[in-house]
Amino acid sequence: MNFNIEEGRYIILGSVDGLLATLGIIIGVSIGNVGNSIVVGAALGGAIALAMTNSLGAYLAESAVEYGKLTVTEKSLLRKLENTYVESLTRKKIMRDSATHGVSSFIGSLVPISPYLLSTGSPIISIGLSLIALALLGFYSGFISKRNYIISIIKMVGLGMIIVIMVNVLKLGR
Amino acid sequence: MIGNMAQIKRLVLDVLKPHEPTIIQLAHDLGDVDNVDGVNLSLYEVDQQTENVKITIEGSDISYNLVEHVIENLGGVVHSVDEIAAGKKIVEEEETLHDR
Repeated sequence: MNFNIEEGRYIILGSVDGLLATLGIIIGVSIGNVGNSIVVGAALGGAIALAMTNSLGAYLAESAVEYGKLTVTEKSLLRKLENTYVESLTRKKIMRDSATHGVSSFIGSLVPISPYLLSTGSPIISIGLSLIALALLGFYSGFISKRNYIISIIKMVGLGMIIVIMVNVLKLGR
Repeated sequence: MIGNMAQIKRLVLDVLKPHEPTIIQLAHDLGDVDNVDGVNLSLYEVDQQTENVKITIEGSDISYNLVEHVIENLGGVVHSVDEIAAGKKIVEEEETLHDR
């Protein structure tokens, strides 16, 4: 199986980001007893903004790191690597990581929004679905790290629950 | 006599290259060069950023420029041309008293 661990990093980063940030928006907005369309509007707006900023952030960070690595290699080779296959690999990696982070973030965001899109939304259903998604991400994380799957799932779901509890305690929507 | 030069049959190069792409891809690309019958790449030194590879290429009429272009496109640098055989047939190096 040709598995790129770098993509796994951005799938987890983006998905967790999208899931929990959007869940936070939904919990915050729904505390005010607003209509379904307002929750969907706020959550989708947040999801799109988050996907774009995550994608842009990954692009900028990866560009700095990968071109830095390329410069170090150029110094060792005593030649420039512009317009070579090596530079094209660097560019592809930056674009792939940027897209993976943005798309994962958006897909993650859709999980807590989905009940509201189907007009059956409530914060409890969104929290439940998000915890299931976090458990799947924990399983995936265990697969990548080749460590104990159960511990990865508990860690992922536990951290998600802490964030949900904190958002509820703060009650930012009131 | 330019324009009617003897055909290169064997080329041995010392190449410095980054770790990526691997020597497998370099071997594939060099093997695809026109008139190349076979290639042999052996890694003899690995550094933190780079690696040194000895490349042996045999063929009927090898174009050095094309070979160099493939190596440079994959990020490599030809350090030296260590051996070259040209003409109607490959002439092997003879051992002399100095080599004994």
